[in-house]
Amino acid sequence: MATPRLQPPLLQAQGLSKRYGGLVANNGVSLSLARGEIRGLIGPNGAGKTTFVNLLTGIETADAGRIRLGDVELGGRPAHAIAAQGLIRTFQVARVFESLSVRDNLLLPFLAAGSPGGLAAGRARLGELLALATLANLADDRAGTLSGGQRMLLQACAGFMVPGVSLHVLDEPFAGINPVVKDTLIQLIRRENASHACTFLIVSHEMDIVRRLCPIVSVMIEGAIAAEGTLDEVARRPEVIAAYLGASAA
Amino acid sequence: MIFSTELLIQTLLSGLMVGVLYALMALGITFIYSIVKTINWAMGEFYMIGSYIQFVAVHFLLGPNWWWLAAILAAAGTFLLGLILEPILIKPMYARPLQRRDDYATVVTIALLLLLRNLAVALGGPNQYRPESNLPVVWIGPLPQEGARVAACLFALLALATFWLIIKKTWVGLALRAAAQNRVAVQTAGVDVYRLDAVAFAIGVALAGLAGALLAPLFMVFPTNGAVTTVKGFEIIVIGGLGSIPGALVGGVLLGLIESLGAAFISSPYQNVYGFLLVILILIIRPNGLFGERGREA
Repeated sequence: MATPRLQPPLLQAQGLSKRYGGLVANNGVSLSLARGEIRGLIGPNGAGKTTFVNLLTGIETADAGRIRLGDVELGGRPAHAIAAQGLIRTFQVARVFESLSVRDNLLLPFLAAGSPGGLAAGRARLGELLALATLANLADDRAGTLSGGQRMLLQACAGFMVPGVSLHVLDEPFAGINPVVKDTLIQLIRRENASHACTFLIVSHEMDIVRRLCPIVSVMIEGAIAAEGTLDEVARRPEVIAAYLGASAA
Repeated sequence: MIFSTELLIQTLLSGLMVGVLYALMALGITFIYSIVKTINWAMGEFYMIGSYIQFVAVHFLLGPNWWWLAAILAAAGTFLLGLILEPILIKPMYARPLQRRDDYATVVTIALLLLLRNLAVALGGPNQYRPESNLPVVWIGPLPQEGARVAACLFALLALATFWLIIKKTWVGLALRAAAQNRVAVQTAGVDVYRLDAVAFAIGVALAGLAGALLAPLFMVFPTNGAVTTVKGFEIIVIGGLGSIPGALVGGVLLGLIESLGAAFISSPYQNVYGFLLVILILIIRPNGLFGERGREA
């Protein structure tokens, strides 16, 4: 992909590496995202996608490499500071606060960000997101009573509560959730992308959805980015086929 | 031992009143554990510091009429001390990757216990002090109640109500409740979990400090006065379940009741034994405590 970019990229990760003992999980991962892009990140299991997301979001510290979000250097900052800079993530196994109400789950990141725009704006946003996520009649229920798909929606919406967020990293948001919830989540992502110019990095194995949502995908193989392009382009690359199907298929 | 309804009611009342103060102490232990995920073994020393602040404030500065202000000062003083000590002593357990967090926290807080206890001996000597109390006897029906005890109980209830309001109604309370469930998720929501740890630790030790201040006229002020109360605090945690706030409250009142019933109707020198019998019973029937759900993760 050699299209010249007019404005500087929103996210620039360069040479991120992470090893666990003898295992090299990320081996010099470089990725840059343009503002307003919805990028897919695919790759076989164990390729290091989640490690990469953990490094980006400060859950783990990289052994080497740099991360820039806009003009800000993120490397070495703690997770909450990275969130405060506008990079918010979801987890593959939805980490909602089970004994808090759905409403409180959504309010927490908004309040943590210092209630940008005032509490009234937050409440309005809350109502809007609850309606879009079809969670409005569950607002006062404990999040622990939600289904897996609803938890995923709730987790994504919690990120959408903060107006200053520029990059949402969603780790396997579509795994194991029912088709109706999937569509709701896709619509939410599209809407946030269009109306708030949010950038997305979506880790997913669901190729149909990736094809629909992401004009460009990056393929991660054995701890490094092996290919970038449209899904159909990268799917023809022999090294990608080999990684997914085993070397003999290439 | 002669049984009478009056004695029974009197016993229940005094058990209830002491139980509320035990609950304060247990709540502090369980609250710190639920957020910081570590047990503060120096809890009794914050109780001790609270009782010394109460004594100094009442005896030298304010006089017995201002006992309630002294109690607020004791809570505020121990709160500040907790806020200062937590980042120095406990935070390294998370900020630096340690292999044995629990061991680290145990060693550090026991060292703190010894330091504070010996500091108290160095500053105040091994003597026993007692802050003056001029509170009159309170008559509940035909039953006389020690004024300081009634006042301590009411003040403790007020403190519990304040605690409840902070936890349920403020944004810090919301963040604390969230952190109790998932430390990582609360960070990715943009909350500085280390600052939250310091606040939780400070609130927890302030509860102990307040208990010490309120019980000072009844249980005296001396360098090791926190030891017995700490043991009771942990008894309550076993009874109620580690990390459970309702468990701390119910367990505290239960322990107070059982102790005073045992002392009145069985034998008073064994007052401290009845609680342990209850603990053993609970461990046999419900090893995770009345309100505990999971075992402690090592």
